This record gives sequence, C-alpha cells and structure tokens, in this order.
Amino acid sequence: MSLVAPDGTGIDLPAVAPSPGGSGTQLRWSHRHLLDLDVVTWPEIELVMRTTDAMREVLARPIAKVPALRGTGVTILFYEASTRTRVSFEVAAKNLSADVVNIAAASSSVAKGESLVDTIRTVEALGADMIVMRHGTSGAPYLAAEHFGGSILNGGDGWHAHPSQALLDLYTIREHLPGGPDLHGRKVVILGDVLHSRVARSNVWSLTAAGADLWLCGPATLLRGFDRWAAAMGAAPGHGRFTVTADLDAALRDADVVMALRIQRERMSGGLLPSLREYAARFGLTLERLGAARPDVLIMHPGPMNEGVEIAPEVAIDPRSVITDQVTNGVAVRMALLYLLAGAAGHHRETSGG
Amino acid sequence: MAPEGARLGGVVADLEVSRAWLVDPAIGREGPGDIVVEDGVLRSVVWLDGAEAEGIDDRGVVVAPGLVDLHAHFREPGFEDAETVATGMAAAAHGGFTTVCAMANTSPAIDEASVLVRVREAAERSGSPVELLVYGAVSAGRKGETLAALGELSDGGAIGFSDDGAPVRSAAILRHALAYAGMLGRVIVDHPEEPILTDGAEANEGLVATILGLKGWPTAAEASAVGRDLAILTEVLADVPAARLHLTHLSTAASLELVRRAKAAGLPVTCDITPHHLALTDEWLAGARRWAWEALDEDGRARSPWADGALVAGPFDPTLRVNPPLRSALDAAALLAALVDGTADAIATDHAPHTRVDKEVEFGLAANGISGIETALGIVLAAVDAGRLPLSRAIEALTTGPGGVLHGWGWGGSRRLVEGEAADLVLFDRSTPWRVEAAGLASRGKNTPLLGRDLPGRVLLTVAGGRLAYEEPG
Amino acid sequence: MTADEIRRATIRISHEIVEKQAGTAGLVLVGIQRRGVPLAHRIADAIAEHEGVRLPVGALDITFYRDDLSLIAQQPLVKGTDLPFDLNGATIVLVDDVLYTGRTIRAAMDALVDFGRPQAIRLAVLIDRGHRELPIRADHVGKNVPTSREEIVRVHLAEIDGEDGVDIERLVPSLAEPVAG
Repeated sequence: MSLVAPDGTGIDLPAVAPSPGGSGTQLRWSHRHLLDLDVVTWPEIELVMRTTDAMREVLARPIAKVPALRGTGVTILFYEASTRTRVSFEVAAKNLSADVVNIAAASSSVAKGESLVDTIRTVEALGADMIVMRHGTSGAPYLAAEHFGGSILNGGDGWHAHPSQALLDLYTIREHLPGGPDLHGRKVVILGDVLHSRVARSNVWSLTAAGADLWLCGPATLLRGFDRWAAAMGAAPGHGRFTVTADLDAALRDADVVMALRIQRERMSGGLLPSLREYAARFGLTLERLGAARPDVLIMHPGPMNEGVEIAPEVAIDPRSVITDQVTNGVAVRMALLYLLAGAAGHHRETSGG
Repeated sequence: MAPEGARLGGVVADLEVSRAWLVDPAIGREGPGDIVVEDGVLRSVVWLDGAEAEGIDDRGVVVAPGLVDLHAHFREPGFEDAETVATGMAAAAHGGFTTVCAMANTSPAIDEASVLVRVREAAERSGSPVELLVYGAVSAGRKGETLAALGELSDGGAIGFSDDGAPVRSAAILRHALAYAGMLGRVIVDHPEEPILTDGAEANEGLVATILGLKGWPTAAEASAVGRDLAILTEVLADVPAARLHLTHLSTAASLELVRRAKAAGLPVTCDITPHHLALTDEWLAGARRWAWEALDEDGRARSPWADGALVAGPFDPTLRVNPPLRSALDAAALLAALVDGTADAIATDHAPHTRVDKEVEFGLAANGISGIETALGIVLAAVDAGRLPLSRAIEALTTGPGGVLHGWGWGGSRRLVEGEAADLVLFDRSTPWRVEAAGLASRGKNTPLLGRDLPGRVLLTVAGGRLAYEEPG
Repeated sequence: MTADEIRRATIRISHEIVEKQAGTAGLVLVGIQRRGVPLAHRIADAIAEHEGVRLPVGALDITFYRDDLSLIAQQPLVKGTDLPFDLNGATIVLVDDVLYTGRTIRAAMDALVDFGRPQAIRLAVLIDRGHRELPIRADHVGKNVPTSREEIVRVHLAEIDGEDGVDIERLVPSLAEPVAG
C-alpha cells in the first residue's frame, strides 16, 4: 500500500519482515546518538547493513552524491590526530550533501584549554546539527551528548568504543565470508592489544550479537579483565559468550576471520610488554601461523598497521586480506550512519528549488 | 515543636519534642520518649513505656545525638570556590553533624600553626555552633619528604595528622610520624593508596572498567598500602606504645579483612568507611542506579547490570569519580558486614566539594570526590530501610563510633542524651523523604550523584552545644 | 479500479509510449520504487509482445532525494536503485503507480540527472489523483481519479501484494485508523 508523506512523496510502509528471534519487527533506527553498540539491537544492525548496501550503490554512480543531508550541518570534531577516519567521515558527509565543518582540536581554541562543554556549545551555536567526535578520554561523547541538542556520532573515545569501525568490520566480513553472511558459529579472532582497544570492545558487542564464535587473543597483560566480561556477556540478552585466551594456536585454529590490532610502543614503557620484538615473535600474525586457520580465512586490520609487528607485510597484502575493503566500506557505512542518525533526530531539510 | 527564641547560631531557649523515637547509642538504648531543652541544656529525657509508648515507632521522628564526621574537606584556605569553612559547617549542620574534622589538604596545607589558626578563625567568624576539629598535615606541604610542624600543630589544637587527599608517600616518613605523633599523643590518619598502582587509574578494576574502557584501580593498591601501614605500626609500637593509626575511607573487602586481623591481634588501629562506598558501586559508572545491596542475588553473588536491565542512566557520570573509586557490590557488602561486626569503627563522609569547572568535564579528567556530608544520613537510613543495618548500629556508626575514636585522640566531647548536659542532637523524620537538589544543598559543592533522588530521613533540626545549627525552613 | 482495468490501462499506456516515440528506439523504462517497478516491467512485457522489442527496465529509489528527513525514521529501508544502462541521450519513461503532489517525480528527476543527461524524461502513471503542488504532468495516465485530501489511494499489485486492485480510503481525522469507504 502506498501512503503520502508530508512532503508529498509516496512512501511504502515496509513489509513486515521476520527478524532473528522476533516475530516481524519493523526495521527502524531509534537512537538519537550513536555512542556505543551496547544499546544497538541486531535488527538495527541489519538496518545499517542494508542501508550501507544502498550507499555502496550511490558510491558506484558517476556522481557519487545524494542530497539526503542537504542543509544539515555536520561538524567533525577530532581531539585525536587521525587522518583516515576523519577523512572517511568528511567524505561520507559530503557525499550526502551535508554542510561539513572540520575541527582538528590542536589548531583551535581547544588547545588553549577551552572545555569540552564550551566547545560543544560553540559548535552548536555555529549551526551544527550533528557532531562526529573523536576523543582520547573514554566517555567524552556522553558528556558532549548531554550538552548538545543534535546528534553525536562517536568516532572513537579513549579505550571505550568505536562503533562505526565495528560496523564496517561487520559489513566487510559479511560481504566476503565464504558461505554467506550469516555469522552464527563462524569463528572470528581478534588478536592483539585488546585491553586498550576501542575497536575490540565495539566488535565484542556487534559480533556477539551476530552470533559469531568470538575469540580474543593476546598476551595475558593485554587481556586483563576480559574473562570477566566473557562470563557476564553470556547472560546479557541478545549476546553470547566469547573466549579469551593467550594461546595463539588455539585461537587461530580453523578461524574464519582474523582481525589483528595495532600494538603501540607506549605499552612497553608502561611495563605491559617486554618489547615489540617479543610481541612480534610470540603473537605476530605471520603466514605460517595463519596456516592453522581455514584456507579461506579473511584477514583484517583496522589500521594503521605496524607491518612486521602485529602483522607480517606478506599477510597484509595476501589475497585473503580485506583490509582495503575495510577502508572503502568505511565511507559507505559512515554514510549510512549519518543518514540514519539524521532521520532519528528528525531534522528537516530546508526545501529549496521545488 | 519549633524552638523558641533561637536564630541560627543562638542558644536554644526552649525546645520540646514529644512522642519521638529516641536513640542513645552511648547507653545502648532506643525507644519512645520525650525530650526538653531549656537554655541550651538538655533539661529532661523521658523514656516512655506502657500505654504512653503506644503508637510510637522508629519510623517517624527520631532524636539522636548530633552526628560526628571524622573526615571532611572544607577547602579553605585556597579553594574557596569549592567550599569555605562557613559553607562547610552549614552543610554539616544540614546533614545533622555537630562535630566535624577538617582535613589539611588546603592551599597552603595545614602544615604549620599559622594556617591552623586561619582555619579556626574562619570557623569562629562563621558563627556556626558546629564543633570544628582540624587535622594538621603529616608532612611539609603534604609532599611526604619531611615532617610537618607536628609539635606546633599539636599545641595549636590539631586533632591529629593526615596527608589525606594522598597517602603518606614515604614509608620512612610514616614510620617517623607514627613515632613522633605517638609521643605527642596524636593519631596519624592515613589515606591508604599505592600511587604507582593507581597512576592514571579511573575506576575500580573490574567488569565495569573493562567494558567502559576505563583504566583500572586495583584493589591491591589499597590493600598493599594497608598492609604497609599495619606492618610499620607494629614495629613503631615497640618503641612508642602510644602510637596510633587510623585508616580512612577503606573501600575493599581485602582491606577490611586486614584490619579485622590486626585488631584481633591487638593492634591500636581504627578505621572508617564512607556512605558512598557503602551504598554505591562501580555499576553506577555504567548507568545503574540501584543501591549496592540490590545488586546482589539471594546467594550473595553480584549480578551483571547489563544482564539485569539495571542500566537506567547514562554512563560516565563524572560525579561518580572518587578516590578510592566506587567498588564492586561484594566490596560494599563487606563494608556493611564490617560495620555490623565492629571492624569498621565509624562512618565518615569524606565530604569533597568541587566546582562545576572541575567536575563537568570528561570522566578521566574530572576531579575526584563526592560532596557527601548532607546526604550521609539519608544514605545510611536507606540501608536501614532495606533491612541491611539496624537503626541503632547506624546511629552508633555516626555518633559514638567516631566519638569513641576521637576520645582515643584526646577529644573531650561526648555524644549522649543525658540530662544536664549541653544539648547536642539531631532530629530527623523517617516518614518523609527529601529530594536531593542542588539548590537545597548548603555546600558549594553540588557534585553528588544523588541529585534528583529521594533519600529517607529529612533532617528537621540540628542543635550543637546547646545552640541552633540547622532548622528546616517552614 | 479492478484487476482487469489495471491490465487494460497498462496495455494502453504501453501503446501510447511507443506511439509518442514513433517507435522504440532510445526508450528506457525506469520504475520508481516501489510499485512503479513491477508496473514498468509489465509495460516492458506488453511492448515486447506487440513490438517484439525488449526495452531496458531500471528501478529508481528516491529515498535519498526526499525533502523531509523525519521520514527516515518512519521508513529507513532503502529498496535500491538499479539502472543498468547509460542514461546519456536516452528517452526515459518514469513509471509510478500514483501521481499526487508531484514531489516524488521531482525527486526522481533530481536523482536521474545525477546519473547522466537524458535526451528526454516522460512520465507514465497508473492513477492521477490530482492536487498537484508542482508544475508536473503525466504524459500517460491509466485513470484519472479525483480525490480529496482526506483520502488515501492504495494500489495493490500482485508482484508485491498478491493481487491487483485499487482502494480509496477516507482518513477520519480524529482516529488513527482509516475507515473503509
């Protein structure tokens, strides 16, 4: 059946589709902010995946642009230096015809000591409807969300969360997984500095919601506390237990997907690791070690890579590596997220040129 | 019931409270009764029984001795934006406290007599009848390198010595301080924390810190410091039998177990716990808002708030950042048990007011501390309402418990409802909750996670040394 | 409108399209999601039958081109755009089930120009219910159905709804449910 929307265009109410464990849930995005994946349901994740498909199609057009967010102010506020993610968001916002303002904190009054709350208020006064934020302190986007009338999209906060990365990781896995996108029972291994990784934490939420057989692997000092989470997660509705181990061989055995995380030099000065050399020797992802995984294993890395440390150069360029797909999918996923968040916030685009 | 002839600070000329529930921990008695105060003196205390006592229970108006706080931060001199002695004492009175011990981490620190004098003068200028006792610092500038002017401070009336805000950094300085202070008949109050283990730490090492990506604050950081302090005390006692140690704001089961054993072995150590460590847990950082005892199942196991649907507020609330951090539900249960078995001698608020500028920031950058002196009684009464603590023990922990500790430090005061003594009491009503609101707090520090929450036990009246300290408006 | 009427109107439209173009050269059909797509396929089938030529058929999703972002929350699902041909120089016949205010068509034209520069764009609709808000008119109309603004026109197509038919329902303003009438 067709209805007419307030703007006069026709809309179809989506056919009621069965979702895992549910009796026909209407797919819709209800969150005003995207700060972490802990509150995002599996049907909502499915919606992001399908919207990303549509955005991929847009990106394949000769003019890779749609006017969906025209008139929407998107401010990119990054307190941490990052080229790839910042540019990825900027491209995504521009492809949706949003008005983009890019603030790199070091060059602004933030560096002079302006508080986060003051910065958010200023950004709002200057017309931002959405803020994409990256910050070095866990929880900062939650403080920002309390003082901002629009939507916040967390581009990474401290060790806590990086929801758009986990979603693009999931999209990439589903796109390339031999045997289809259903992750139930498929073995996914996240390998490396799990303790300090917001990518790992967000992936825990999404991959356990997808029903994957998730393994977290790394040196014991970098897995601290995750066993407790695994035990508690088993009881959390909509998610499942995961395995935590320092035994690399057990982790890699028959793995369908291996995701290596970046190891940072600071971890040694903190006394968590003896040396990067030792990490590479004991936990580095080499072709030889990868032999224990399935022959069609997917190789992933959120980037940037320390080739020769957590991942051998030949592994990074192996044909089974989907690392570059992660980057390209990143733009499409971020377009999807900006689009869905804009809808949830009920922004109204100024109609111009009828 | 309104006191006649009293302005704030003035002598209570005439006050009659009839058919209330009296609690007198000094004699271990509670029950229905009437009291009369005349010219600041407790003229009569009548315990009712038989027919007269009918219909009076402990759920209405309660009369107790004025509360005693062993640990509060009044920020003057140096941080008056957060609190002054005057506002701190007003907050204390609102909370039902008639004796408060102020910590020495001001700016300058109270490491010499002149600063002590400044604080006392501020107390006098405030006109508040609340008794203010003041700690001197243990070390000069609280740096832990050399001893502060302990003798001068003692002569100037310091109630004891503490570097709180921080531990006594050097074990050697602690050892010398325990000996020297023991010689003076004064206590050392230590904030037990191993700073190397807590460098950059944000939240209790546990499930919540793991999931929220916050740097963990290990239990061992407190337990190892407690162990260090007890070992040093043991040795010092050989030379200075009068040495005394008090451990403040213990937050973990492990620490309390160490103190339990030390006491059993006869060590002269005392300790206190805060209301927020008793009733709040690290779950609150994730967005839970249930009391600690509600987070345990019937078998005493902690439930995960993610599995329970217990997350009702946003995570990372900076008003929850405190040193020591809010711990697990199991630790909180151990604190409650320690209160019941007497291992914990007192509840002390660790009232830590902060300005909005220092608190309304990212969690990891927020100052540590909860403004707690006005909510302490309410929190403890919530535990009583939940059946976790008998009312008598709760009042004891807030009056004769800390009072007894102070006696050991040379304090001459008392906390009892005895005819002929200057009236020192608090009246509160358990039948009416009060809503914690920023505007209603006398403290300049509005940094409490309980804003907007209803607490049991509305304080109606506080009388300190026969004079009116607080009266509920209207 | 009955299933039979729909069938006859579709066939007539297919003839009109060829007639207007004086043949089939350069023609492509683009159905607007959702029900414009099966309609476009039916028209292509009809043309294939009477002309022996199978015209290219594409699907156009205008979700990203709508004016109102608040609709995203109500209907976030994107059904997909698929235009497997070069638009440059082609004569596009947009196909939709109902023509009302004209905003859907305007959004569709916005979308098409991002794909290329067609020679011409024409419009075929099954039902024109009036109340245009923009200067847009259909070249080919199955049936003119005068309606009031309080009514909803519902087109059912077998490919999507299991059967063919058209309902007109009146919205009772004070109630959430429309009353059949």
